[in-house]
Amino acid sequence: MSERSESDRLQREGWLQRMLRRPEIGSFVVMIIIILALAFASNGKAFNALGLKNNIAIIAQLGIIAVGAALLMIAGEFDLSIGPMIAFAGMSIAIMMKWGLPFGLGEATPFLAFLITLCMTLAFGWLIGNIVVRSGLSSFIVTLAFWFFLRGLTEVCFRLINQNTNVSGLPDFKKESWFAEQMGGEVFGWFFDAWYWVGTQVSAGAEFTAEMTKSEKLDMINFLSFLNINRKMEQWVTGFDARLLWFIIIAGAAWYVLARTQLGSWIYATGDNKESARANGVPVNRVKIGLFMFSAFCATIFATCQVFDTNSSDAAKGMFKELEAIAIAVVGGILMTGGFGSIVGVIFGAVTFGLVANAVFFIPWIDGAWFRVFVGTVLLAAVFANERIRKRITGGI
Amino acid sequence: MSKQAYMRVENIVKKFGPFTALNGVDLEVHAGEVHALLGDNGAGKSTLIKILSGVHEPTGGTIYIEGKPTTFRNPRDASAAGIGTVYQDLAVNQLMSVTRNFFMGRELTTRFGALRMDEMNQIAHDEMLKIGINFSDPTQAVGTMSGGQRQTLAIARAIYFGAKVLILDEPTSALGQKQQMEVLKTIKRVRARGDIAIIFITHNEIHSRLIADRYTFLALGEVIGSGTKAELEGEDIRRLMAGGAEIKDLEQELAAI
Repeated sequence: MSERSESDRLQREGWLQRMLRRPEIGSFVVMIIIILALAFASNGKAFNALGLKNNIAIIAQLGIIAVGAALLMIAGEFDLSIGPMIAFAGMSIAIMMKWGLPFGLGEATPFLAFLITLCMTLAFGWLIGNIVVRSGLSSFIVTLAFWFFLRGLTEVCFRLINQNTNVSGLPDFKKESWFAEQMGGEVFGWFFDAWYWVGTQVSAGAEFTAEMTKSEKLDMINFLSFLNINRKMEQWVTGFDARLLWFIIIAGAAWYVLARTQLGSWIYATGDNKESARANGVPVNRVKIGLFMFSAFCATIFATCQVFDTNSSDAAKGMFKELEAIAIAVVGGILMTGGFGSIVGVIFGAVTFGLVANAVFFIPWIDGAWFRVFVGTVLLAAVFANERIRKRITGGI
Repeated sequence: MSKQAYMRVENIVKKFGPFTALNGVDLEVHAGEVHALLGDNGAGKSTLIKILSGVHEPTGGTIYIEGKPTTFRNPRDASAAGIGTVYQDLAVNQLMSVTRNFFMGRELTTRFGALRMDEMNQIAHDEMLKIGINFSDPTQAVGTMSGGQRQTLAIARAIYFGAKVLILDEPTSALGQKQQMEVLKTIKRVRARGDIAIIFITHNEIHSRLIADRYTFLALGEVIGSGTKAELEGEDIRRLMAGGAEIKDLEQELAAI
């Protein structure tokens, strides 16, 4: 009897139980279900060469801001200003590219425009963070104020400088600027080159002939599209959107910081129990301010990719993106109350959201508005699931 | 006592605006001794330990560490001077692992800022074993631990990071009977090392009698009595505990209702 200690009451768990305890498990299961359902409903088209590229593009786009939102939520704060920050950054870059640098400093290069914009958005992030930690107000209300402020400011700047709430028809900077190509161009071309090479081996001998019926031709096109070959028998897709690279860099860095570094421990501690973190010497305020700036950084990367991809920008960019980013973080297993969660879960969440947001293009008979119905349902389910996981981890005591 | 007190505070005053929380408090603590700090709610115990641990700066008075006057501008200063505080809420983060809690704010890192996780797990396990808890899995969340174990974690952490004065803020108050005894045993083990002074804040007269060597009683921001165990008679302790009121008076008052 006296040999027994408190710790013996905690059962040692097997591999499976440990996996089930992980914060990512819920989002992983939902992701697998969505991948299978979409592959089935779109007749596989969602994952042919072009489908994959398009899906990855939106997954990466949402993922970039979701990572920023997730780190901030783990530290116990929200950022509702992500969407307007995207619009502001897009406006700032596009206007500099069209009208030159401020104060008549001459022509803007894509990199210079990005750098100046980043300084401004980081300054906004710093300001938001300082207001939140110094006033002790809820970040919800402070960033809501910045939601209005930045949306308004973006539109005003557009009208004052450009006499219009959008900039379109910019020249394609990707051709001359290495930086613009890295933001708005294509990456990992080798992946599709290899796919095409395999495709040519598999489809050797296949060709369109005059006696094929129309439906046979369609079947043929469908078949070739899985081999990254277009109807002229050339390579179809040449690369992923460059934002995939940024998503990988940002998510990879965030994962490493959170799981393996001192700063990661501080982020968790800040969101879990701020007072105890402070009592143990964690610079809670600096962590929070830094994460508000990181969130602004992610929004800026999002906007830069968008501007150099489409060579345009308008005041309505980034609409609802702050809510989507938060929703992805929650579906990815981040607790609303902070202190818990992982980047891997957020990646799963981004994949799920990206696929569903894009589903309308692959399943013609579906109404695009179902996306929001789905988001609402999954979000609610995720919150319940997260709460259960939290109780299980804290032993429910 | 012939040897010098590790920490001595003299005439500490703390005012919050018009409110005087502490009005000239003296206290001294010696290595290898348990100093019980007793007093009713609102007596100023919490304010005093917040001053000792660097959370508040005193309005007046001096803190001497090994005879030298010292000021704490923040908790880091206090901790550098060897003051380790275990708060009532223990300052643990429930959702984080035992190891991450143990090293919170003072993580061991490589030159590139990465955590030395295996090493930290090992140290957390060993340090907790030293003061009496064999913990199989330092990666489990603190939320799964019992109140007594959390207390041990917080104490082991303070000692590992060089506490010479260990301030325990009502360590037994929120625990069950058996766990209270575990915590008292832990305190005894720490006392037996001989190099650490313990300030034991409590409401509980019985617990203080079980382990304390020296007493200070606070009431309404002032010291109303202090001395070693030998100097204070049992009745004295009880009377001072009640803020100076005679327990017999209270009995009569109760009987009259």
